[in-house]
Formats: sequence, C-alpha cells, structure tokens
Amino acid sequence: MSESLAVRRAETSAAITRVHEVLDAFAARDEKGEMLTAVRHFPAREAQWADFPSWVHPDLVSAYAEKGISRLYTHQAEAAEAVHAEKNVVIVTPTASGKTLCYNLPVLNATLENSDSRALYLFPTKALAQDQLAELHDLTQRLENRFGVFTYDGDTPADARRSIREKGHIVLTNPDMLHTGILPHHTRWPRLFENLRYIVLDELHTYRGVFGSHLCNVLRRLRRIARFYGRDPRFICCSATIANPGDLASRLLETEVEVLNSNGAPAAEKTLVFYNPPVVNRALGIRRSYINESSRVAQEFLKHDLQTIVFANSRLQTEILLTYLQQANPRLPGKSDTIRGYRGGYLPNERREIERGLRDGNIRGVVSTSALELGIDVGSLDTVVMAGYPGTIAATWQRAGRAGRRSGSSCAVLVASSSPLDQFIVRHPDYFFGNTPEHAFIQPDNLEILINHLKCAAFELPIGPDDKFGEVDLPDLCARLAEARFLHLAGENYHWTQEAYPADTISLRSVSSDNFVIIDVTGAPTVIGEVDFPSALVFLHEKAIYIHGGQQHHVEHLDFKERKAYVKRVDVDYYTDAIRYTQVRVLEIAAAVQSSAHLHSHGDVLVRSQVVGFKKIKFFTNENIGDGKLELPENEMHTTSYWITLERSLLESLPFTVSERQSGMFGLLHALESVATLLLMCDRRDLGTAIGERPPAADSNSVPWGEGDELISLHSAGRPFARDFSPTHLQDAVSTNAKELFEPNLYLYDAYPGGIGFSEPLFRTRMLLVQKTRELIAACPCEQGCPSCVGPAGDLAPRAKEAALAILDRLCA
Amino acid sequence: MAAAADKFARLAALKPTRPLPARPAAIRTPGEEDVLGRLLGAGVASNPFGEHLAVRNWFSTPEFSEPSSTTLELLSRTRDESIARKTRAALEDPEKWLFLDTETTGLAGGTGTYAFLIGLAWWDAGGLQAEQFFMRDFAEEHALLHELSQRVAERPVLVTFNGKSFDWPLLENRFTMTRSIAVPKLEAHLDLLHPARALWKLRLGSVRLVELERHVLDAPRLGWHRENDVSSALIPQFYFDYLRGGPAEPLAAVVRHNQMDLRGLAALFGKINTLLSEQTSDATEIESLDLFGLSRFLQRRGESDRAHSACAQALEIGLPAEFRPQARRDLAQMAKRRGEHTRAAEIWLEIVADGHDGIHACEQLAIYYERHAKDFPRATEFAQLALAKLRRQRSVSSDPLLAARCARLEQKFLHRLSRLRHQMNTVGGVARLLALSRSGGKS
Repeated sequence: MSESLAVRRAETSAAITRVHEVLDAFAARDEKGEMLTAVRHFPAREAQWADFPSWVHPDLVSAYAEKGISRLYTHQAEAAEAVHAEKNVVIVTPTASGKTLCYNLPVLNATLENSDSRALYLFPTKALAQDQLAELHDLTQRLENRFGVFTYDGDTPADARRSIREKGHIVLTNPDMLHTGILPHHTRWPRLFENLRYIVLDELHTYRGVFGSHLCNVLRRLRRIARFYGRDPRFICCSATIANPGDLASRLLETEVEVLNSNGAPAAEKTLVFYNPPVVNRALGIRRSYINESSRVAQEFLKHDLQTIVFANSRLQTEILLTYLQQANPRLPGKSDTIRGYRGGYLPNERREIERGLRDGNIRGVVSTSALELGIDVGSLDTVVMAGYPGTIAATWQRAGRAGRRSGSSCAVLVASSSPLDQFIVRHPDYFFGNTPEHAFIQPDNLEILINHLKCAAFELPIGPDDKFGEVDLPDLCARLAEARFLHLAGENYHWTQEAYPADTISLRSVSSDNFVIIDVTGAPTVIGEVDFPSALVFLHEKAIYIHGGQQHHVEHLDFKERKAYVKRVDVDYYTDAIRYTQVRVLEIAAAVQSSAHLHSHGDVLVRSQVVGFKKIKFFTNENIGDGKLELPENEMHTTSYWITLERSLLESLPFTVSERQSGMFGLLHALESVATLLLMCDRRDLGTAIGERPPAADSNSVPWGEGDELISLHSAGRPFARDFSPTHLQDAVSTNAKELFEPNLYLYDAYPGGIGFSEPLFRTRMLLVQKTRELIAACPCEQGCPSCVGPAGDLAPRAKEAALAILDRLCA
Repeated sequence: MAAAADKFARLAALKPTRPLPARPAAIRTPGEEDVLGRLLGAGVASNPFGEHLAVRNWFSTPEFSEPSSTTLELLSRTRDESIARKTRAALEDPEKWLFLDTETTGLAGGTGTYAFLIGLAWWDAGGLQAEQFFMRDFAEEHALLHELSQRVAERPVLVTFNGKSFDWPLLENRFTMTRSIAVPKLEAHLDLLHPARALWKLRLGSVRLVELERHVLDAPRLGWHRENDVSSALIPQFYFDYLRGGPAEPLAAVVRHNQMDLRGLAALFGKINTLLSEQTSDATEIESLDLFGLSRFLQRRGESDRAHSACAQALEIGLPAEFRPQARRDLAQMAKRRGEHTRAAEIWLEIVADGHDGIHACEQLAIYYERHAKDFPRATEFAQLALAKLRRQRSVSSDPLLAARCARLEQKFLHRLSRLRHQMNTVGGVARLLALSRSGGKS
C-alpha cells in the first residue's frame, strides 16, 4: 500500500517536472512577453473534514464507507444539514468537489427512511443524467437494490416507461422531457407526484437567458402539479461559480434559497496559463491561427508523455484538431489509436470505450467538444488545452477541472482566438481571476414564453381564480387566451379547448415556435434542420450560402408561407452576408440616468428590421465578389433595450470629422456588444445592435414613425467572422440620413421578442460595461482597429479606434 | 394602455390556430338552452356531483349474440395464461358486459383531453340498451364520471373498439384528475380492434368501424344507415363551438354518431362471434375473404388445424387474384409447420409456376429439395432461379433500401449454392464410388 502510494507520488512529481519543462519552453520562446499573458499557480489545498450527520441512516453510512467514503467534506455535511432542515439550497462549488454527494445523501436517506419517498433529478442534458445513473446504480447495489433509479428521456423504451413510473424512487430526466413527456401526463405518475419530496437541479448556471426563462415556467407548472397531489417539494440546486447564484436560484424557484458556497474539498496543485498566439500582422491585428497553436501546445504535452484533453468550440474544429494530432502521433502497427475524438455524434458504445481508454491510460490524448466538460468520469488527466475561450468563466473552470481531478498536479492552457471575447480575457487576466463578474439572468415573465407555458399549464390542470405564476395573476391572461379560443371558462376554471397538445410545439430552447424547416433537395428531399424566424431571414434568403454541418448549401427557394427553405449542396469558395436594415423606436423608457453630456436608458422598444440585400464574400481574403438585392418582408419585434444617448455637446467636443465620429460610434458599439456578452454570459446572437437618432422630443412615447425621427442603422447580419457592418452602406447611411450633428442612440437590444432580461442588468452595470469596453479597446495592440476591438480596420474610417476611445473617455469621466 | 394592447396584439403565442369567425356564431338564447335535450329526447340527470344530460334508447338491432366458448377462448388468449383464465371467467356472463365508446376533445391524449360524451350499451331484452351521458360544460364532468363509475360497478366487463389504448386510459386520466372519484375496477376488458384488424385488414385496408359496418356487417341489410353522419375529425370543433354558445344541432348529430358506433360495436361482436364459433366454420355463406381473414387470425392464436382448413376452404371457394398468392403462401407455410413437406412443396411449385414474384417460394423449394428430398440438382436449380429473379428485381429498382435487401438475399443464395456444390461433389463422389463398386461387382 504505502509502496504504491510512493510510486504514484513519484509519478506525479515527474509529471510536474514535465509540465514545467513544457511551460519553460513556451516562456523561452515568448521573447516579447506577449504570448503567455498569464501563468497562475494554485497551490494544493487540504481537505476539511466533517463526520456524517447523526441522522443519516446507518446502512447509507456503510454503503458510502464501502466506496471508501467514511467522512464528508465540510460543505457536503453543511449541505446535508440544510436540506435536512427542510431548506431549499443552492450549492456553489467548483468541479470535482463531490457535489453529487451533496444531493444524493439526503435524497437516499429520505428513501431509506420512507420507501414511498420520491425524487426528481433534472440535468440540462441526457448525457449528464446517464452519467449520474451509473453512480446511483453503484449505491443502490450496495443497498441491496432497495430502491429504483431510472433515467426517463426520449431514449427510454416505451415498454420500460410504465415500470419507471411505478418503481422509480429517483427519476433522472431533463427539462425538455419534464415539459413534454411528464407534466402533460401527470396522471400516469401518481406515485411520483403524491410522494415527491425532493427536486434536484444540477448545473443551475446553465439555466439562464431563454432556456432559464422557460425552465422557471416549467418549474411553476411542476409545483402546481405537485400541489394538486398535495406536495410541496424541496429543491437542491448545484451551480458553478457565478456572481449571482442565489439570485438566479431564487428567481428560478421563486422562493427563498439558502446559498452554500464554502468548499471543503481538497485540490491538487494546478497551473492555468493564458496563451495568446503571436501577432503576424500588427497593422491588421492578425494573429497566428489559434487552431494550429492549440495543436502545437497539445503536441508538446503529448511529446512529454502527459495525458492531454483538447477542447474545441465546435464539431468542425474538433475534427480539424483531431486530424492534426493524429498525423503527429500515428498509430503504431497492431495498436489502437492513442489520440481520439469525442463529441455528440459518436455512438454511446464508442464513447464508453474512449472513457475507459482515458481512465486506464491507453488513450493519451482526446479532442472533445463541450461533451466532456461536465460530469462524465474520465479519471484525471495531466493537462488541458482549450482551443478558444469557452465563452464563460464558469465553463473555462469546468474544462480546466478535467485535469488533475485527483492526482498531484496539472496544467490547463487557454489558447485565445482573435475574437474580441478571447482577446479581452487573455489580456485582462484580472477580470478572469478576480471575483467573477458573470451574472446569469432570466426573464420568466416574457409574455411570449409565459403565455406558452400558461397554455401547457391549462392543458395539465384547469386554471382556477387563485392560480399564479410567480407574481403574475393568471386569470387575466387566461381571458386573452379564451378570446383566442385556446381556453374556455367553465364555472370558475379555465379549461383547454384545442385538439392539439401545446407542449409539443413549444421548445425550451427558443422563444417562439415559428420556425423554418430546411429541406435539402440535392437528392431525395430530406429535412436537415430548423431555424427560428428572424434567423431564417438572415441565413436562408434566396441565393444565400447556408452552412450546415460543415457542408455548404445554396438556398434555391424560400417558401415564406409554408415556412420552408429548399437548399442544394454546393462547394463554392465564398459565403454570403445579409445586409440588414434596422430601425429602433423607443416605446417606453423604464429608467434613465443623465450625465453631463450623455444619457443611459433602458426600456421597451420596437425593432423593425428588413434584409435588403446580401454580399458574396470570398473565404480567406474576405474580398467582396458580388452582391444582390432582396425583397423580404419586414420583421417587427417588440423587445427591451439598453441604450446610450450621446448629446450634441459631447459630440462637438470630439476632435474628429463627421465620418470619423460615425465610424467611432459603430466601433464603440461593436466593442460594447462584446463586453456585454461577457457580463451576461450570453451569445453574440442574443443581442442586437443599432444606432439611431435620438427622437427630438423628450416624451418619446408618443412620437410616431416619421421622416425626421427615423432611427437608422445598416449592417450586415450574417457575420460568420464577426463583421458587423459594411463600409459602403455605412457611407450611404451617413450621406443620406445623417445630419451634420445628430444625437445618436447606441442600442443594445434583446434579440428575442419580449426581451429575455438583459436590458435592465446592462443598465444597472453600465459603468462596468463602459469601463471594460474602454479597457478592451485601449489594450488592443492593433493600430487602427481589428476584429478584436472595434471591428476590422478596412471597414472603418482610419481614426475610428481613436474616436471610439475618445467617446469612452467622456462616458467614463 | 395603448402600448400594452400593442404588446398583446403582436404575440405569436396568442395567434389563434384557426381564423376566428368573421361574426360571432349565433348565440343560443336562454330559452334554447335545452334545444339539445329536445333534439335528442334527453333529460337532465343529476347525482351528488351535479347535473348532466342523459339519453336512453333501446334498439332491436343488433340482436343479442350468445358468445360461444370457442369465441371467448380465442379472444381472451394471451401469453399470460393466468390472466387469460381470469378474463375468460369474467367474460362468461354477458349480463356483465358493458359496451363503451366516447367522443373526446381530441386524439392527443394527456391530461388536457376530455371525454365530453360517454356512450354505454348492454344487451337487454334480446336487443341493445344504450345510455349516453353528455356534459354541457366542463363543470359537469364529475357528474358524468360518477355515473360511469356506477355503471361499471354493475357491469365490470368492458367491450370496446380501440378502447384499450385510447378510451379507457383517457377515462382513467379523467378519474385521476377528479381526486375524488376512484378509477372503477374492471374484471375484464375485451377490445375488438385487434381481432378485427387480424380478420379484415387484408380485405378492407382500413378497419375503421364505419368501414366494417358497411362491408362486413352489411349495414344496409340491417336497415342501418348513417344519415348525415358527422366526420370524426370535426367532432372536437363542434363541441368547442357548442361550449361557446354555438348551435346544438351538430352535437345532436354527434350523439347519434356515438349511438351508431355503439350499435356497430355490439354488431361487430356478433359477427366475430359467428366467425370464430366452430360450428359455423363449414357454413358456405361465409365469404372466402372472411375465411382467409379467419385463417390468419387463427394462425396468430396458434389454432393451426382450424387455420389450415379455413385457408384451404377460402382458396377452394375462390379468392380474388390479389389475395391468392398470400393465401397459398400461408397454406404452404402451415403445411410445412405441420411436417407435411411434400404437400408444402406442391403448393410452392404452383406459386412458382404462375407467379412472377416467387423468390420466397424458390427459397423454400431449394430448402425442401436440399433437406428433405435430398435432390441437390433440383435444389440448385431453384436457388439459381431465385438468384436470377433477385438480380432482375434489383436492376429495375430505384429504392436503395430494397436494393440493399436484395443484395443481402443474393449473398444468402450464393452461400447456399456453394454449399450445394460442395454437397454434390462429396455425395456425388460417394454415389460414383457406389456405382463403380456395383459395376465392378457385375463385371
């Protein structure tokens, strides 16, 4: 025993040495000190122990003891006590801190004490539920199978469902299945609902934006059904580290939630490195390809016999990196590949085989999408390479956590792409390593979402006069649904009066169900995908090149009425970029703050946009090789927005020409959007931007559309390479519409009908937003703008970057 | 507020799924409230859970059909013998039978689909007594369910058409939703959909009750005609319109439709009973197609002797051309299973002789000659014939799935051919040796 420990220690210390050798080699190459922007060491941390609480069933204590767990970490004990005291809790802990025990312990204990007790576990993905199933099965076997644990999702065979409904003490599922498969059939689940004691919500931080807003409503429905069966279940939530886990949890659950954020788990020594690929063209701000650099870094680790996981942000990149690394590490005759890929499309058996190979060390390297980021047990790896910023600080830590889960030491390297987000992160390590500024927001009362779930709720159980969703009185909204003939009032209750099944057409991953189906007609017609209405106008207009699964398709015909797009497979050397014309009209100002010469506001807006044409842009060179006009219907959306108004005096104080000022504003908006997506943990697609003239009257509510107050912004929207607008059209806008000195509004609006809760938080954190935007642009080494800060230099007037900074100086003053 | 109104106007979630009527439908005046009752001769019934409409009618047709023990035995046979025995015991008393058919607000199932009309019927005085409960609004649902639970307590053997997977689970949901009326216990549930499908699917394509009535039950002869029958697809909308004050007439039609369905259901049982009861199987008045259907049903229930004779009889009487190959194939298969290999081979030979698609028969013949007749050259002949047919089929087909299947089958035949060659070589060798020794002995 002691001998093998000693051997392991020797091995791990050897691993440390090898990690340091590689890092030293990188540092040596980084002559200007621009490549390794951060190297942070985190020393090992000792475990803090606590005993099993005395109320835990002795059989459960011995089952855990058999697994080698005879004591708890302090936070696990704390969580167990809080749940035992009937509190709703959210446990905030890093990866690999034994969080599953935090919920399994109280749930299993309750089941052992009362064999009727039931629990429902919700995971954001099917794969995570599968993984937890394995852990729970191990425990049930040790407890003589005294209870049933099952996953219930789209893959569950029909003949197994009945017995799961009867015998499942713990049912593991996902929000989508709860929404379409369980709640509308609650009468099939009387055993579960009559005895529902606990609901576990893992990966709580993933329930934000649209998905979170839907989930909140699904939980409203779930609690309503539980009440019908006389239950008021407790919630146990787990979240990665974000700035507002308590807010998010209490917003989602609409009740008080206790936040537990201590951590008693031990941690191994860890090094986190930010790696910025070297600049090859300083003027244009072009860096070496981060994909090639990631492969190079990973290869260094592999050469030093360090087991490595490489994360890519898309399937395509996964395949490219896999090809590079397999070429560099060819398979030996008679042996299997030592480098493997791992992503969603792989078959379960293949995945299990790879997981096993990683655990026993036969596989030395794996290239993965986010599929391996959460939960899945692959043992401890030595090093992690992230090709591109995963999008959020929380996800970055989760990926970094895949290395050194239990062993002595590990290293994670983040290789930045040239996108503004990546560049901001690697150049501002303190933003990343400080207290996390990432907030998760939801807007469950978005009318579109709310009313859709109200339909589902009425289907599940007639809606009575006292029914509420959070603070929202339901009968008022029901009356509107009755008018539209979805519901009918009988006595005091509203009943569902449609043949169709409402949950079927409501996706939890988008706001409205108005989708376009994409049909590939190259051979026999096949449906290859679906996109939502606004995206269809941008990506599926006629003659567009639509890229799906790495394959280019030419859009032959867009059938607007039938909501279908017919495409054919092609192989061309260009992509298309739609030119969108956007107008924003302020409907109602919710709040505004006046500074010396500018104004911050948020409120309701009406966004009208129309795709008026498109450009064909050549790959790699980004040359414009043709364009076309399009006549597509206008799309109107009522949403929420945050905006900055620049007043005349501010503009007059800027020492720039009109066109430089204009360019500066567009550049500023580009950078603002980047930073906003960081703060809101959202995708660039979740926000829209526009510049328009401030309406002349202060009372903007009553201002109708007209010539004088048109708010105009023209920009291309396809932007596969984050191109925000076209210079030619900017010129048009400036020459035809801009007066000598108009007072512009810079809008950042929610790109979802009704708004999804981004505007108010942006308004609240406006100073942080403006300061971080200034840091982003100021720290960018490019000369006259690049995609990482204000947008590509070629698209803007020469002094755009300077002008943007000058405006920001005044906003920060 | 104008802005708020705008907000609602634009919501996709509030967009009606069908265009609202340009002007509101004629609203029933309070005096007309009981129009439906008058139209149907229905009365308002009440019980501790409230009021609802009840319609009672006695019909002389269909006439009572005494279930034969063979019928009950065949209909209740399942893999689980103990369940089958219990069901059979419960079925034996037709006094306990309750025919049930509901009209619902949709086919989607789940907790938001309601049964607004529950139709029940039972044998009475040689004919059929029907009773229907209708809810004039959702608030009357509990009264309806209470009534149903009383009737089921009296007659706990349910007879339905597709009620096992649709009507009864839906009603179970409705009972659970009341939280006050328990789901009534059934002693047995006889669903006629599956037997009907086995018997008539081949002949009719569709086994909807209306089709069965027209083609199997010979409705005109019974003097039945579904005058102005409503299309099932429109029923939920009629009810929704009625709820919102729309006209009562369409609902009266729905009630009549449900009556017809109940009578059809009872008559269907009579027909199945006649077919399945052994003594009638020699009756010449049974159509050949029904005999063939019966044969298929009996095959599935493991009644091979009766199945065989029904099939043979059907072929004898004469089947329409499109069903003959299938019937012959069945007959051959049954003969094979009974160990009558020579008889089976005869039938296959007939099939090959006049069929253009005899691949299966060729295969069976190849097996027969190889295994039973030990005639390898003939076996080879049929395997080659099958191969040729397959190749022809593949060359004219544009369906990739079919082509792949053909290719797989071709592999099988190639394998068989090579085995046959091998056997002919060895066995042929032995035969030659034998011949040699014999000739040697002679000379």
